[in-house]
Amino acid sequence: MHCVSALHGEPRNRRGGTLQRRRLFGGRRDVSRLYDRWFHFTAFVLKGPYYISANCTISDGIISEDGAVLFKSATPINDFLLTAYQHFQFNYPKFYKMDNLSKLGWLTADLLLQNTFNKDGYKSEDVGIVIANANSSLDDDLKYYDTVADVASPSLFVYTLPNIVMGEISIRHRFKGEQAFFVQEAFNADFLYRQVSYLLDNDLVQACICGWVDVLRQDYRSVLFLVEKTKKGNAVLFSAESMDTIFNGGFE
Amino acid sequence: MSSAVYIAGVGVISAIGNDVAEHLVSFEQEKAGMDAITLFDTIHRGELPVAAVKLTTRELAEMTGLSPEISRTTQLSLVAAKEAIADAAIPDPSKWRTGLISANTVGGMDKSEDFFVDFLADNNKGKLRFIWDHECGSITETVADQLGVSDVVTTISTACSSSANSIFYAARLIKNDVLDIAIAGGADALTKFTLNGFNTLMILDKEFCKPFDEHRAGLNLGEGAGYVVLVSEKVAKTLTKVPYCKLSGYANSNDAYHQTASSPEGTGSYLAMTRALEKSGLRPLDIDYINLHGTGTPNNDSAEGTAITRVFDGKFPPMSSTKSYTGHTLGASGGIEAVFSVLAIKHGIIYPNLRFETQMEDLPLKPVTKFLKGQKVRNVMSNSFGFGGNCTSLIFSTS
Repeated sequence: MHCVSALHGEPRNRRGGTLQRRRLFGGRRDVSRLYDRWFHFTAFVLKGPYYISANCTISDGIISEDGAVLFKSATPINDFLLTAYQHFQFNYPKFYKMDNLSKLGWLTADLLLQNTFNKDGYKSEDVGIVIANANSSLDDDLKYYDTVADVASPSLFVYTLPNIVMGEISIRHRFKGEQAFFVQEAFNADFLYRQVSYLLDNDLVQACICGWVDVLRQDYRSVLFLVEKTKKGNAVLFSAESMDTIFNGGFE
Repeated sequence: MSSAVYIAGVGVISAIGNDVAEHLVSFEQEKAGMDAITLFDTIHRGELPVAAVKLTTRELAEMTGLSPEISRTTQLSLVAAKEAIADAAIPDPSKWRTGLISANTVGGMDKSEDFFVDFLADNNKGKLRFIWDHECGSITETVADQLGVSDVVTTISTACSSSANSIFYAARLIKNDVLDIAIAGGADALTKFTLNGFNTLMILDKEFCKPFDEHRAGLNLGEGAGYVVLVSEKVAKTLTKVPYCKLSGYANSNDAYHQTASSPEGTGSYLAMTRALEKSGLRPLDIDYINLHGTGTPNNDSAEGTAITRVFDGKFPPMSSTKSYTGHTLGASGGIEAVFSVLAIKHGIIYPNLRFETQMEDLPLKPVTKFLKGQKVRNVMSNSFGFGGNCTSLIFSTS
């Protein structure tokens, strides 16, 4: 697993005892070491409960929100993303410039937040984003690489990082909270649950958008969850099990 | 709580000098550091000028005592950090809580690039010792080990504002009584990775860069390292020499406009400058010199210029981009230019913006074009704006 942008609470990288640290400056206490210990300790004392207020899935030509199908179109990915954007009558010209990973995440987040989310109830700094996928930005990387032989494309180049999708979502919704993007072989609900719970437990954020946004050529799957501290409407308990159930097409 | 944070020492290495003294000479002689690429093989050799430190990695290693197989970023970092510590000459340093807050953006990429030549040809080949310090934090760790600093050791990587943010963060650690002394700044070495990346973005000038000029065509990549030693009031009282100045203001803002461009109005830079002024309690007309971010790209200079026009409202202090000497040293630039800002106060000098000819059409700004001595420089603003819209302004003031 590779962490693209570090979560709050990683003050240093420890290589593990290969070099003896000489203490010319010899301070009295090692603040960061205490911090590490605190980080590991709190990571296992989970508070909660928290709730999944909404979820949105885009996969196999189908867009569904909280289990209800909103849109269907069995076309290739480029066309599918554009038709979906037009179907919901979005007006956000920057969408056209995005790579497919950002388009997919942007659409999923917009639909996830359109009804349930009370934006005015949160400060910008209080909404976090934790997303994972398997193929990083490889979809755009390959397209960019194809242009290198001729004229390397600046517009493709700026999307050759997976966490750009979180930036696009943040710019759209003015989110400024903690963020992390993880590259993992498969959707790992338990891992995601721990990451998000840590942020909520420690009041680093008050709400969090989390889930999976993955694209490689014609294969795509995006599942995002809105996690909040209070139970609203048909919210389900935030847990690894409930995320797994929704991810696998349950609650329909 | 320490109410003020003082600058007790400075250290710098760049294309125009291997230490502070050499920089002062180059500045006065108006000698730019750009030259043809010699550090590595690239198809851009002879086509794109770069501002490389005039020492091979092996020569740097002789200075640092590290193995030449350790990243050039680490070597540069250690040279400048050691100079800053020696310059501060803090009596009995082991008494205090000391941190190293160091920035970089390329990490050990120079060595990783060597590794991948063999590895891509045959994935059983390639020397692993070339990639062990690939990641950014590893550079700081090695330097901290060499310096014997361990109370707080951390790495900041926020593109071109990285090392300005290190200094900012270090000041906050001192103000909040977490540290007494902080060595803060950053380092970056030239690599194929950054050269090709910036070339893809079409923002490299094939000639020597012309910051803030109407006919500017992009930046020249540079490399180097710059560190300041920040100390609390308590430590400052024990110093045998007078601190250079105070870090009186700092602010960071983000205009979240584009991955690699500032908003045309320079919203992020405007907010960074005005909030840094607020923090320092100074008015715009108190600023005696602005060390511009001034990369020489059409986008940065017009956005930064627009923001300065708004902040200073017709009463413009002398300003210049020292990147016309050092090139754009990316993650090191905030640290290097912090050192230049401190030296401007100390020696009463203002650096010229080399090769400036034509004023930008829509902006009333004209940078300084000659090296000025004997100036009254009390307050200096240093701007560092990074990709992702990450904008930081620092203000240094006479103590």
